[in-house]
Amino acid sequence: MIFSEDTILFLYEITDVIIAGLSTGSVYALMAVGMTLVYGVTKAFNFAYGDFFNMGGYFAWILIFGLGLQFGGYLTILVIVMPLMFVVGYGLEKLMVAPLRKREDWENKVMMLTLGLALFLSSLYTVVFGVRMKSLPPILEGTLEVGQLVFAYQDIMIFFMSLGGILLFGWMLNNTRTGMAVKAVAQNPTGAKIVGIPKERIFAFTFAISTVMVGFGGILLSQKWFINPNSGGTIMIKAWVVTAFGGMGSIRGGLYAAFIIGMLEAFVGWLFGMSYGMIALFILLLATLVLRPQGLMGKGE
Amino acid sequence: MLKVTDLNAYYGEAQVLEDVFISVDQGQVVVMFGPNGHGKSTLLKSICGLVEKVQGRIEYKGQNINGLATEKIVNMGITYIAENRELFPHMTVMENLKLGAFSKNARPYEKNNLGRVFSLFPLLKNRQKQVASTLSGGEARMLAVARGLMSNADFLCIDEPSLGLQPSLRHEIFSTIKQINKQGKTVLLVEQNIPQIAELADRIYVMEEGQISFEGNKDEALNNESLKEIFLGM
Repeated sequence: MIFSEDTILFLYEITDVIIAGLSTGSVYALMAVGMTLVYGVTKAFNFAYGDFFNMGGYFAWILIFGLGLQFGGYLTILVIVMPLMFVVGYGLEKLMVAPLRKREDWENKVMMLTLGLALFLSSLYTVVFGVRMKSLPPILEGTLEVGQLVFAYQDIMIFFMSLGGILLFGWMLNNTRTGMAVKAVAQNPTGAKIVGIPKERIFAFTFAISTVMVGFGGILLSQKWFINPNSGGTIMIKAWVVTAFGGMGSIRGGLYAAFIIGMLEAFVGWLFGMSYGMIALFILLLATLVLRPQGLMGKGE
Repeated sequence: MLKVTDLNAYYGEAQVLEDVFISVDQGQVVVMFGPNGHGKSTLLKSICGLVEKVQGRIEYKGQNINGLATEKIVNMGITYIAENRELFPHMTVMENLKLGAFSKNARPYEKNNLGRVFSLFPLLKNRQKQVASTLSGGEARMLAVARGLMSNADFLCIDEPSLGLQPSLRHEIFSTIKQINKQGKTVLLVEQNIPQIAELADRIYVMEEGQISFEGNKDEALNNESLKEIFLGM
């Protein structure tokens, strides 16, 4: 035998940690892309972002446990919840954010407003669902065994579904007329107006898509974690750290950052315990701000 | 085709245009002269719905378009070709052109217009895949004009196309505008640096301090003592 028993055990553990890092990292990537998108297009920051994550989880929970949905599993859930998230995002943008945009200093007003929305949503969740945390059943139960390595199907599904979500989003951005319009508004708002792109509609669409992405992330990760009515802030901070670390407005930077941070969290959790994850994130954020304030791939000003 | 009456435009509190009137008939080339910073660009932008506060009447094909959203104006067949180009820097030439045909009015003619634009600017055809931010000044200018043509507009507001170009390229702009006009497009042009552009003009306006200070055809303009400075004093 080349390796001692201890070494092999260590390798198994490392593999577990890497798998966990990859699956959470992939969901972070989904969330970071959504956040970067809204920031890149509308230049406004959405403080209620993390609460839309929970909204996705709660919608799925209602379908499974509230309405006792039996048919089609998560596919049906996604088919119902994703359009619902889109409508919620689009409606909120039109009703609450769009009217502010006509005013002076609207970026700050949008921040205040979404902060209020975040408080409202977490209170709403507490009233409707109670303070006790909810959890969702895994997409796919069981494990995949390769030799002596054991992978949970759940982790594999989470990884591939978030990856699928990101790829679909990327495809939409590059291959549909609306996607191109979104990119156009992000690159040059005046130019977009000149060619006749309805900016207001693109803003609302962008907001709605980001709501869908973070809601999708919520459904995926709520199977591993719990849905907690008050966790919106923590989730938003994580998405924010990923976005800042990757570089504001850079989608590719956000993707790299998400996997690096997913891994960091998994390794810190393994070495020191889960509660150190957040501390590690803040150290990373501070280090980023000091050493490379524009982020991994940000262009800087 | 276009009739502007009693137009006042403001940037915040500052009034930029004062009681401006112009009129452009179908198929014409109308040239607007005047010193820099006196409101020529603002007039073009006002017509295209790009200025926030505009009072007065802008009549296009009999309909008042003042106050309409830019996308509606574009859809009616008016396009603005900006002096600072306003391209999409990280997109290719082709993507910029395709976005030029974003409005509903332009979509059915996208292929046709693409062919026309490429025959007008063969250079762009060879650079389809090049990213816009890497184009030279002259190429970017061509792309801006080409993108405007992709909108299938009948009425082109072209803002200082020669800005920032070397003199040898100015003649090219002159002949491009001539050709565009020959294809049936109506052109409202702001141009300072090409004296011979006046030869193309069916009507000439001069704007000073936000007001129209001269209106007439090119013979009247060339014979006007006080305008000599503008045409000869380049």
